[in-house]
Amino acid sequence: MATSDKLIQVKDLCKYYNRGALHALDGVTVDVNKGDVMVVIGPSGSGKSTFLRSLNLLETPTSGSILFDGVDITKKRYKDETGKTVKLNIDIHRQKMGMVFQHFNLFPHMTILDNMTLAPIQVKHMPKAQAEEKAKGLLARVGLEDRAAAYPIQLSGGQKQRIAIVRALMMEPEVMLFDEPTSALDPEMVGEVLNVMKELAQAGMTMVVVTHEMGFAREVGNRVLFMADGKLLEQGPPEQIFGNPVHPRLKDFLSKVL
Amino acid sequence: MISIEGFQAAFKFWMLFRDGLICTLCLSALTVLFGFILALFVALARMSKFWPLKALATVYVEVLRATPMLVQLFIVYYVLLAGVQLPTFRLFGIIPFERFFPGVIALSLNSAAYLSEIIRSGVQSIDLGQTEAARSLGMTPVQTMRFIILPQAIKNILPAIANEFVTIIKESSICYTIGVQELMFAANSVKTAIYSMGEPAIIAACVYFCLTFPTSKIIAYFERRMRRGDKR
Repeated sequence: MATSDKLIQVKDLCKYYNRGALHALDGVTVDVNKGDVMVVIGPSGSGKSTFLRSLNLLETPTSGSILFDGVDITKKRYKDETGKTVKLNIDIHRQKMGMVFQHFNLFPHMTILDNMTLAPIQVKHMPKAQAEEKAKGLLARVGLEDRAAAYPIQLSGGQKQRIAIVRALMMEPEVMLFDEPTSALDPEMVGEVLNVMKELAQAGMTMVVVTHEMGFAREVGNRVLFMADGKLLEQGPPEQIFGNPVHPRLKDFLSKVL
Repeated sequence: MISIEGFQAAFKFWMLFRDGLICTLCLSALTVLFGFILALFVALARMSKFWPLKALATVYVEVLRATPMLVQLFIVYYVLLAGVQLPTFRLFGIIPFERFFPGVIALSLNSAAYLSEIIRSGVQSIDLGQTEAARSLGMTPVQTMRFIILPQAIKNILPAIANEFVTIIKESSICYTIGVQELMFAANSVKTAIYSMGEPAIIAACVYFCLTFPTSKIIAYFERRMRRGDKR
């Protein structure tokens, strides 16, 4: 595959805690291609979330590199197209990576509309009217156009997570990172969130999803990564991972969750 | 001993109490203003990752909280501002500026130490997920603090801030020791005129109560109004 198709290249990524006593990530190497829907599965404490949060540097890796659009975001400086050394501004790279959290993290002191328009207006200097129009369009897309003036506390968990997704989409990211987006939801609300994610995948969005929803991994994902003890133990298309697992840890894991 | 006659005598000097009240109000209002602004910077410095700034702010807070207000006032007046030639005009024609100004500075420095700890606890009580969400949208640390963290933190710490404001009004009485003609100074002046401290002290106490009680009630009202948004 051509280099230009590789959106994120992770190489030998390590994250140690307690001066190396705990290896949350232990040499993970993987490429995320444009249009990939990469689903990361594994037992709890396997480093899935640490891996995902490292991608936009919410966790600072101990060693290894992450190339995003060809720029190593783990270094303080990089060479631009003209070969000049420039200082890395992580805020600019984060704008291109939308993130959805397990606990939604909507801003409780703002209306839904303000939640969505704050970053585009302040960070991208989008005119207010344009940002609000865009927000209303996205709200309609997830069926919440009537909740623009509501506050987060007035919404159900599923509604909050759908808002969190479209809030991230407001920045027009190149990739969306999902950190267990349905784990904090009541069971009957999981479907509505997964449906939005499915539509997003079908629209061609590049996605990295950490989840325990094996049905979603199987149906929507085009690649599945299995992690345990901070290591990437097995990867492949869902049919292979679920139909013909090789690693004993994966077999053991699937026997418990399926 | 106190007596009706004593109060009658004391009330003849009502304009002293009036001027003292104006001075106390000015002292408190300016202290609240300067103290809060300074506290905001001290709190941010204490949470800074740049260690010299953090150390400086920590030393400031610890020293000001560990020494008596009266000592701080004397140091500001007799040491720090001793060599400074302050203008000698009178605010509103009654308050001598060269004594009033050191009083405001000392009170502001002191209350900033306490207020900064209140602000810091408020900021640190906000869920880390809020910062992560804002930063992952590409917002800078300053934007995150301004739009996401501080608005939520201020709301949470409003009762503690109200307490501190009430404390400032009461603590301002200490400025009488450097000759600021505020309420307590007025009470003391009346004492020398009527040869009795009881009546002027009780009058001063009533005036202080009339200042602090409504202040805490008004802030409690605003607090209840803000909480309304938290319910469904």
